[in-house]
Amino acid sequence: MLERVKIENLSKGNILAFGEFYKNELNNSSLEILSPLKEVAQALNKKLILLFLIGSLEDIKNLEEIKRSIADEVWFVINNELKDFKDDLYTEVLIQIVKSSQPYGLFFPATKIGMSLTPRVAGALKVGLCAHVNYLEVKDNQIVMSRPTYGENIIAKLVSKSSPVMATISLGAFNIKYGEKEPLMKEIIFPENFSWSSKLKIRNFIPSKKKPTKLSTAKVVVSGGRGLKNKETFQKLFELAEILGAEVGATRPVCYEGWVEEEKMIGVSGVTVKPKVYIGFGISGALQHTVGMENSEFIIAVNTDKEAPLVKMANLALIGDAKKILELLLKKLKN
Amino acid sequence: MEKIIVCIKGVPEPGSVKVDPKTHTLKRESMELILNPNDRSALEMAVRLKNEYNMEIVAISMGPPNVIPLLKHAYALGIDQMVLLSDRAFAGSDTLATSYVLAEAIKKLSPFSLILMGLKSIDGETAQVPSETASLLGIPSLTNVKSLFMEDNKWIAIREIKYGEEEVEVEGPLVCSVLPTAFDYIRPPSLKRLLEVKNKEPMVWQASDLNLDSQRLGLNGSPTQVVEVIEKKIETKGVILEGEPEELVEKLIEVLKEKRLIKN
Amino acid sequence: MIKYSFSEEQKILIDLVTQIGEEYIKPYALKWDEEEIFDEKPIKALADADLFGIIIPKEYGGLGWGNFEMCLAVEKLSYYCAGVTTTYAASFLGSYPFILFGNEEQMKKYLPEIAKGKNLCAFALTEPQAGSDAFAIKTTAEKDGNFYILNGMKQWITNGGIADIYIVIAVTDPSKGARGASAFIVEKNDPGFSVGKKEKKLGLRASVTTELFFNDCKIPKNRLLAREGMGFIVALRTLDFGRCGVGAQALGIAQAAMEVSLKHATSRIQFGQPIYNFQAVSHTFAEMAIKIEAARALVYNAAKYVDSGAKDITGISSIVKCFTSDIAMWVTERAIQMMGGFGYMRDYPVQKYFRDAKCLQIYEGTNEIQRNVIARELVKHYR
Repeated sequence: MLERVKIENLSKGNILAFGEFYKNELNNSSLEILSPLKEVAQALNKKLILLFLIGSLEDIKNLEEIKRSIADEVWFVINNELKDFKDDLYTEVLIQIVKSSQPYGLFFPATKIGMSLTPRVAGALKVGLCAHVNYLEVKDNQIVMSRPTYGENIIAKLVSKSSPVMATISLGAFNIKYGEKEPLMKEIIFPENFSWSSKLKIRNFIPSKKKPTKLSTAKVVVSGGRGLKNKETFQKLFELAEILGAEVGATRPVCYEGWVEEEKMIGVSGVTVKPKVYIGFGISGALQHTVGMENSEFIIAVNTDKEAPLVKMANLALIGDAKKILELLLKKLKN
Repeated sequence: MEKIIVCIKGVPEPGSVKVDPKTHTLKRESMELILNPNDRSALEMAVRLKNEYNMEIVAISMGPPNVIPLLKHAYALGIDQMVLLSDRAFAGSDTLATSYVLAEAIKKLSPFSLILMGLKSIDGETAQVPSETASLLGIPSLTNVKSLFMEDNKWIAIREIKYGEEEVEVEGPLVCSVLPTAFDYIRPPSLKRLLEVKNKEPMVWQASDLNLDSQRLGLNGSPTQVVEVIEKKIETKGVILEGEPEELVEKLIEVLKEKRLIKN
Repeated sequence: MIKYSFSEEQKILIDLVTQIGEEYIKPYALKWDEEEIFDEKPIKALADADLFGIIIPKEYGGLGWGNFEMCLAVEKLSYYCAGVTTTYAASFLGSYPFILFGNEEQMKKYLPEIAKGKNLCAFALTEPQAGSDAFAIKTTAEKDGNFYILNGMKQWITNGGIADIYIVIAVTDPSKGARGASAFIVEKNDPGFSVGKKEKKLGLRASVTTELFFNDCKIPKNRLLAREGMGFIVALRTLDFGRCGVGAQALGIAQAAMEVSLKHATSRIQFGQPIYNFQAVSHTFAEMAIKIEAARALVYNAAKYVDSGAKDITGISSIVKCFTSDIAMWVTERAIQMMGGFGYMRDYPVQKYFRDAKCLQIYEGTNEIQRNVIARELVKHYR
């Protein structure tokens, strides 16, 4: 059912998007990144290719999802050795594809796997790599990528002088779009003498016991920052989330303080959320955080500082001590 | 004795960040630098492995001379040798240029059996340098490693991925980025070593010591470049309420009811 | 307020203890107190930082420093939690008997492990009927060939059960009264040694206090410290060296209490102004400062006197212990008063300082006993 194409015959100059599979399960972020890339590809008059490295076609559970994607083509590299994620082998496979098909751009979702793999590929190709891009556009016939810079309330727009253009794209920053036309599906045939060996041997896998966070798709988000003063108070957000049917989010400093695990981080290197209601307790609203929540429908900010960016952004801002207000709110809601 | 190399980074003390208005890169030389918090677990892992397998640890840091106290801190934690990679030509390096310098310095320290780094720095947050350096060295890399030990001269790593934990066997040398939450206890510096390191200085290597290709260094050697910056102007868009906590909470409850998040 | 000039080494020491206090103690101190939990993490941090070796000679793995550096460490640590400090400082009471009275073999065997913090110490003198009247101890040690057999019990022993090494004072010859006791080293795994229940305390709740039991506890004869009959000399001399440490502990608590309440007083608005503007309040703080500065000068000077090798340290170390623990009690009580309701609530740390300070007037010789000692030394001195 797949058209088989020898690697040397692949079409050239495309935009490639890495599709993440793990244990035959498609990671949705691979479909998210297609949305901005499709627009970029159209503006540059290029084809958008979704590229998968998999163990075997039979085991794929979400083939229908892939068929509905907005990619122009889907390329598969199929080999039993690819069923586990092996950083070095995956890199080697991608390098062969880049060398043969000379893509214009190569993009990855900023998942743990994506972030392990992309720098290896960029290093081997000696090309530039942008991290956690949350906006893409085409200007003067080149791809311009945006992300907030550190320490300033500034969005930096970056280009890559090297080819292909490479970047990892922030999780949750884009919505999945579906296409009307089923993409062409191709299997890439590697030369007989290609070595599928890896220095890594995956000996064992223990599935995560933690429930995966639903933060990126949550309808209501209650989020906390340093203004909550300590870990104990931050933990009370979980009680509030329980009452409101919300998910808990956090700012970067709070995650680094260890008040909550990093999966809860909203912003540049964390998750992007678009809930109907977002409540921020003790969050002043550094750009690193606000890029991850600015598209929330209704924003409530609780903060002592009237001039704080999040207070200004908010539809409703309450000026006061976040810790006190949170505690009082919980007390009233429980009665 | 087998060698572990730990790469550490000086990052700005939150609140003391200074940015070059032209290049939009950090002006590290004029800031108070602290050890990147995520590097602490890399150092802790190195010291634990040293004690377990009787290895030698070299800590490398690339940056201006104000990272020397951080190397000394690492010494007090238990590392054996300090190397500072410092040259004006390195300023403004992106991850590719940084990885290139690190990889060449690491080559000069050969042979080694393990390179450890923090998962990511809290300033750049790219998490790219560990894998990129490994790639330039042509050796395997693993990220998000929470535990590491040896079995029959091979490294066994437990790494965290989105879906769970994998146990990976790999022959060294390799690069691992260490999960910030890998340890529930991280040691403080030793008083004896703090007193000892007072009179020690790190080795300093410049571009010329490493025979580096100047085309691949600093801002010019960095393929990713800032072309434009946009300041986010925020205008007040909603209602701002002040008052006693009681009143504010009443208002909040009212809004939550309106939004049907709580029952009347 | 005096800015003392410390040597570079001493500054490194103070910085390190501060770092440990901030990171390993401060965030948890109220929780340990509230839940009466002994947590080994801060102890492990102190061990990894080499802080158990301050007074232990270099040749036995320590830093070879003196009583003054011990006081600096104890003062700073107590600023964060006097409970954790109690666990830590018991190791000084465990080290001094070796340093002052141990033979080469004993020092070689025990001091390096104490210096590393691998072995915690406990000092066991007090018994149910022998508190202030220490000479009334009933625990016996009977010689049996190459062994001693210990029988009896000890009460309110800091680090009971968590310590690896116990310095135990027991009667070897009841006919000789005060000269009939001896000091022994007991290890936690010695046969016949066991630990009773953990006591519930008013303060210092992050530390562990228990009873110890000796039921035909058989130990080799080389566990005897000094000679038979020297038991009380070992004990009292050890306590002489330890008392400046109690003073430093009191100082740390008082300092913390003053800082927390001062911050409150300067920011708490009543009648339209910070309460610090009212003289009744500000004078109270002035009085706190007077007492704390005087106490610090006293502790530092006395510790340096001890380090000078002076023999007559009994009186001055009692003066230090009495004065500083009394001012710590006064300061912490006033600190609560200055904070009013906030001071009384267990969400704030001043009430903990108050409860912790109380023990310092009682343990290691009550302040009443200290005054007896001072009075006795006084007439010797001015004879």
